[in-house]
This record gives sequence, C-alpha cells and structure tokens, in this order.
Amino acid sequence: MSAGLIIREEVMNDSVRVHLSGEVDIYTSQELKNRLYEIIDTRKADIILECSELNYIDSTGLGIFVGSLKKAKQYGKKISIVNLKDNIKKLFIITGLDKVFIIE
Amino acid sequence: MDTSLDSIVLTLPFRAEYVSVGRLTTSGVASRMGFDIETIEDIKVAVAEVCNKLVEAGSKIENEYSIRFKISGNRLTIIFDCRDKALKCIFSGDDNELGISIITALMDSVEFCPDDSYLLSMSKTVERNF
Repeated sequence: MSAGLIIREEVMNDSVRVHLSGEVDIYTSQELKNRLYEIIDTRKADIILECSELNYIDSTGLGIFVGSLKKAKQYGKKISIVNLKDNIKKLFIITGLDKVFIIE
Repeated sequence: MDTSLDSIVLTLPFRAEYVSVGRLTTSGVASRMGFDIETIEDIKVAVAEVCNKLVEAGSKIENEYSIRFKISGNRLTIIFDCRDKALKCIFSGDDNELGISIITALMDSVEFCPDDSYLLSMSKTVERNF
C-alpha cells in the first residue's frame, strides 16, 4: 500500500552513513526506528542520515529522528542529516528541528 | 466567480497502511483544483498528520473514518469525521506538538475542536496569479 522505505547502512572509518530511500510514514516508521536504534547501539559511532532519495516524512518519522539523536548522545555521538529535499527541509524548519540537528 | 460546491468523500479503516491512500487522494483532488506542486505537497502532509492521529486514537474502534473534500470555487475544505462520537477533539491535550505545528503551518485555517458534527476541519485556497 505504501511506497515503502529502503534503509541501507554504509560503515565508514569513523561514522555510519544510513541511506534512506522512499517514504517514512506511520506505516514504515517502526521499521526505521528498529534499524536506527540497532545501528546506534551496535556501532556506537556518529550517524550520517543520507536523505537524497527520501521523498516523504511525517511527524512520526521526525519523532524517530529526535529519539535517535537522544540515543546517540547517550554514547557521546552525533547525528547529521544530509541532502534533504526542499519539501522535507521545510518540515524541519516549521518544527524547529533545523536547530536541533546538524543539517548539511 | 464559480460558486459551485463539489464534494468527494473517502472512507478509510483505522489502519496505518491506508494513510497513504488518503495522501494520494488528497493529491488528486488538490491537483484537479489547480494548486501548485509545493502546495499539493503541503496539503498532503497536513492530511496525513490528521490521519496518523486518527489511526492512533481510533485503533480500538471498529468503525471507519471519513475524509470529505469540499471544493467551493478556489477553496478546498477538508473535513474529518467518524461515526463513533466517542472520538472527539482528537488533538486535545495532545503531546504531538510536531503534528500540530505542521498542520497549522501548512494550512490556511484549521478547526481542531469544532462542534459535534465532525472531528476536524481545515482549508486551503488556491492562489491565482492574473
């Protein structure tokens, strides 16, 4: 029913790049939460969320980003978000999350 | 000025996998009215936020909820309703500040707690450049 979400993990020297492709909505958000939390817990590295192929996100997805950031900070790590499309960047600005995350 | 009133109604189960159907229908209606692509995206996002909340609030209710798209000239009004009147004022006392911020910012007007005749109403008007 949903266009779906593809999550791909790329381990770098000092960080993990997580490629998000498709849509994060109420239907796919649980999958995102499980994968991101697992990556943060197991890698204990800085996370880069690569969003060039992310077409849609809603407040449930944004909430998972915030939860992931809190979790990463417990390990002294940070999360940055790169290559956001304009329609999604707009939601970060509306909600004030552009000041919470490192957005490049 | 066109003052005709067209109405399109979509009925959905309280299930997460059907929220995308609400988004797609919204896109079709808004596109038909002549909204630009960016505004269509805004309306879709706002509709999905309400659907999300309804799915969360209505997960234990067997009835469906409805989304009524009312087209009056260049104004689109979207009305959410449910036959189960136990469900009302769905964002009241809510901690979903992200959802409320998004809906309020993207729509021209929103009635979060209207009277008992429906659950939530929001509207958007097509900007026309002459």
